[in-house]
Amino acid sequence: MDSTPLPTQLEQTVVQAQTEISPAEVKDLPLDERPTEIRIAIPTQAYFLSGIRDFVVNLTKNLTGFSSQWAFRFQAVVDELCNNAIEHGSKPGEFIKVSLISTKNKSLEVIVEDTGTGKEKMNAQQLTALLQERKQMMTSQYLGFRGRGLPKIVGEWTDELVFEDLPEGGIRVKVKKYLRKEEDKVVSTQKNSTSHLYV
Amino acid sequence: MTSVQITIEDLSGAPQGKVLKLIRIVGQLDESNVDEQAKTIYTLIESGIQGLSLIFDFTGLEYMNSKSIGYLTDWYSKVSTTGGKVVIAAARENILDILQVVGLTQLIPAYATLEEAKMAVLQ
Repeated sequence: MDSTPLPTQLEQTVVQAQTEISPAEVKDLPLDERPTEIRIAIPTQAYFLSGIRDFVVNLTKNLTGFSSQWAFRFQAVVDELCNNAIEHGSKPGEFIKVSLISTKNKSLEVIVEDTGTGKEKMNAQQLTALLQERKQMMTSQYLGFRGRGLPKIVGEWTDELVFEDLPEGGIRVKVKKYLRKEEDKVVSTQKNSTSHLYV
Repeated sequence: MTSVQITIEDLSGAPQGKVLKLIRIVGQLDESNVDEQAKTIYTLIESGIQGLSLIFDFTGLEYMNSKSIGYLTDWYSKVSTTGGKVVIAAARENILDILQVVGLTQLIPAYATLEEAKMAVLQ
């Protein structure tokens, strides 16, 4: 794996406002059951994303209770969301914000915020409509070049996907995946015993 | 830019009138490098080789994003149009997983080993 160092402003805190649990309730939880939030600000250059991908894999494997398979899935989810935020939602020389919120053995939430200064920026309503349009597009065999990231990779591998307009401009994308033990054990590919064809 | 190397080799054993190329991709294909790296493969596909088929050896491929999957789909479409085949060999679990979730394994067969992929193309 590429070992690009993580960029600036790595910060780990106990989740307070962003979770359904109130700060008082969080304090009552045993230490290892408290949600943990990691916030990262990433320069709007795709160069930095390989370091973030490595970080997400390691974090998922070590902190969340999700399997190795899901660690790689979240890696792709975060990469796609960050790419969108950089390519469409923000101009060069700025920072996008990424938050990873883990409630161990329960859920992993990813929040990505762009700056709303990109040439192809959209609002939450437009993005929601675009997602629906692309989901429709993907129902039959799709040979197009772009458009798989949000409906297939992000949409298929998360349980919740929400777009919100930020008051200061920009979009916040929130995705959440709940840990289900039976699903976590599922192997992604079924090997055909006779031909070894992975389809 | 994320590190990735693409190499192209001739494979022997193709019947007369067919050309079989092995494309090895080692490293990570992401937003920072995929547009530049894709040119190498477009140069091959658009060089006018008659009867061209491709085996993508993904043994060393660690990551691919949705845009690189888009390129792979486009290469498949172009080679298929001329009667050639495209298959994937020896992809890691995480790569197969992402190809499967976008539905690409329904289009491009994936084989566990290079030998199996080669046999499938030559059949």
